[in-house]
Amino acid sequence: MDRFLLFAGLFLTTLQAIAQRDTLITISASGGLQFDQKRLVLKPNTRLRLVFQNKDDMAHNLVITRPNSRLRVVEFALALGAKGPTQHHVPMMDDVLAHTSSVEPGGKDSLTVTLTEGAFPFVCTYPGHGSIMYGIIYATNTPKLLPSPETDRNIPNPERTTEAAHHHTAESGHPYPLQLPAVYRTFMPDCGPAAIAVGLPAPTGGESYVFDAGQCRLRYAWSGGFVDNTEQWDGKGQRFTKVVGEIYFRDTGGFPWKVGANQPDAPQFKGYRLINRYPEFRYVVNGVEIRELIKPLPTGRGLIRTFTIAPTKQSVTFLATAQPGIRFKPSVGRLQHGEVKLPVGTRQFTMTVSTQ
Amino acid sequence: MFAAFLLSTLLSFSTPSDTITDYYDVETIATPPGLVAETGGLTFLPDGRLAACFHRGEIMLYNPKTKTWKLFAEGLHDPLGILAVSNQELLVMQRPELTRITDTNGDGVADRYETVTDHFGMSGNYHEFAFGPVRDAKGNIYISLNTASNGAGIRDEVRGKYDPLGRQGRMYACVPYRGWVMQITPDGTVKPFASGFRSPNGIGFDAKGRLFVTDNQGDWLGTSKLYHVEEGKFYGHPASLVWRDGFPDIDPLTLPVHTLDSMRTVESVAFPHELIAHSPTQLVTDNTGGKFGPFAGQMFVGEMDFSRLIRILPDEVDGQIQGACIPFYDHAGGKNPLRIGNNRLAFSPDGSLWLGQADHGWLGDRGIQRIRYKGGVPLDILSMKLTPTGFDVTFTQPLDESAARDLANYQCRSYYYEYHQAYGSPQKDVRSVSVSDVTLSTDRKTVSLTLNDLKINRIYELKLGNLLANNGRQKLANHAVFYTLNRLVK
Repeated sequence: MDRFLLFAGLFLTTLQAIAQRDTLITISASGGLQFDQKRLVLKPNTRLRLVFQNKDDMAHNLVITRPNSRLRVVEFALALGAKGPTQHHVPMMDDVLAHTSSVEPGGKDSLTVTLTEGAFPFVCTYPGHGSIMYGIIYATNTPKLLPSPETDRNIPNPERTTEAAHHHTAESGHPYPLQLPAVYRTFMPDCGPAAIAVGLPAPTGGESYVFDAGQCRLRYAWSGGFVDNTEQWDGKGQRFTKVVGEIYFRDTGGFPWKVGANQPDAPQFKGYRLINRYPEFRYVVNGVEIRELIKPLPTGRGLIRTFTIAPTKQSVTFLATAQPGIRFKPSVGRLQHGEVKLPVGTRQFTMTVSTQ
Repeated sequence: MFAAFLLSTLLSFSTPSDTITDYYDVETIATPPGLVAETGGLTFLPDGRLAACFHRGEIMLYNPKTKTWKLFAEGLHDPLGILAVSNQELLVMQRPELTRITDTNGDGVADRYETVTDHFGMSGNYHEFAFGPVRDAKGNIYISLNTASNGAGIRDEVRGKYDPLGRQGRMYACVPYRGWVMQITPDGTVKPFASGFRSPNGIGFDAKGRLFVTDNQGDWLGTSKLYHVEEGKFYGHPASLVWRDGFPDIDPLTLPVHTLDSMRTVESVAFPHELIAHSPTQLVTDNTGGKFGPFAGQMFVGEMDFSRLIRILPDEVDGQIQGACIPFYDHAGGKNPLRIGNNRLAFSPDGSLWLGQADHGWLGDRGIQRIRYKGGVPLDILSMKLTPTGFDVTFTQPLDESAARDLANYQCRSYYYEYHQAYGSPQKDVRSVSVSDVTLSTDRKTVSLTLNDLKINRIYELKLGNLLANNGRQKLANHAVFYTLNRLVK
């Protein structure tokens, strides 16, 4: 029985090797001068219909070349110069086996090619793209013999190129070590787009928070680290900076101040100054300037928020939404029904936020 | 990069002596170890130091005399423009705001970050870059705001009012003043100044102090452009219209193209796609009084994808600015080739042109280079002016007569790029334009060409043959020039 199956399997494999197969594969350009798939493995003599979808925001093409001919084709494409655009940047040469036309952002095109055994590069031959935007199609009956993707010289290796480009980059990602307190204006999750991440030195390994410059308020705080900017810094800057550590506090309320009896205007963010590297934020609401300086608790997770309030005859009330596990301790007045009514003339006020 | 190097090597072998590298050279400025030098802005302090801002939020100062770098400020969100106010104070355009950054205690490091304006929206979309600032003679500051891209969405929380009518289309403006140039007056008033921009990565002034903005090929831009920007005008990309005072509550994309076309102000100079630019960047005016060579008073524009800059040859017809563009230092090669990704330009007090390079997730190199003028006068086109019958083309040197008088050395064609919602445009209605006559001025510097077919709203691409100067010792540096004809000379 076993032997019969083995025999049947061999028979089928042999048949398939002779008969032509059809396959349909879609490859996308997805930004950062990359194809989303960089390594395809097919059986030899497969008729490949390849659909190229351009999801990037610039035009690309896709050219399949003879084995070991990618660089040559790329050089000839570049040498087309002013004639390039009318030829879709594809040089007329035997090394080109198949190609799409120029595909504008959002567009697609396809090509059909039958590949014998071998390693066939595919590449975008737009000027400058060919040196990084490429991949390989292996037509082989013995895929196990292929190099692992990590060591495959036929595909661009982001780590390899990154390493070559920035082997001097310090761990901080800057030409200097990261020194806490530190400020990053960046895109943070669960915050408006004008976010300011601040990391403070603390025995916990870092007490950090996000201040929303759009809404002029603390959004959340975490403990045990600061941020990872790797994804935010990569490419065009769409992705979030990541929180490193554990978020222990989220301000679920809104803007924390009521100034005067009237409906408040939207607060205006005015910037910050650095005091021994600690940012002191400044904003104005209903004509009253308020400054906020945040420091870590001497021990344990938590923050001390120090507010400085410009002289005003209006009543000033701090709002704090209660939440389980979080203790608010105002320096003056009492927290009642989520409010601290500041005594008239209060110029400085601290609110300690802790997890005890 | 290897291919570009190979090509430039080939070119340097095939081109006879007398190349632009005889008159200019490129120096690469070493940046500090650990700096990812995606350059967002360059400016020179009054004391001659360079201030540069970078993608990861650093502002660093460079002393060209000692060749040393020093950190001035950090933590900014993708700063893409910088302007020196004094040796202690800078204006910086970062994603969320225009910020005044000051070293108040004189320790050489900034300690005060003041919001000059954040009166514009942010949807969180990556393409909402913010450019500028530049300042005019009256002290008004201008910034330009990129539209968002449907290559990505928006965040759950946005800053500013959200308008779904501005959310349509490939590049969109769902929060205020995306696609606008904003003016901040000396008293701090923030005014939406002009609309209709897509990706206005270049903003600056010409020698007469008039405001110009570059915009990038894409939807509604058949090719990249240089606009002369005036208050209240609309420059063609519709998304920003939703934020115009009094604009009806409609999706601007529902307006017929001919309506939008009639509302817009056209470009002063078009940059034919690929032939001149893929992605034009900052513009600067050569204010060096000749320290940078024979092009004093002209505008230079950066370009992301090619090893070249662009030089503007302005013309004025009926009080309207139009004119031509021509490459500068085009794939010149040489010992130290000009890299690509030339995102930011600044003239140093010594008259050299500093270039800040970036890729920003697209094509481009990183780092800082500068182009220095070495002396001599290359044979190049100095100006191109429309006449009632053709063009007067003036050169930097008297031309050798026989080649200059040979009609075969002047080939011309004309075409236009379509104004439509689709991304880019092919060259449309390409016509060969015959040059029927050429005359040479008595100083032999100007050729007057007679063209048989001059029509408005077209680009005239003039190709020049092997014109020579100084008895063949000097060869023409650039052989193609592109004139945008919006108005005829009556």
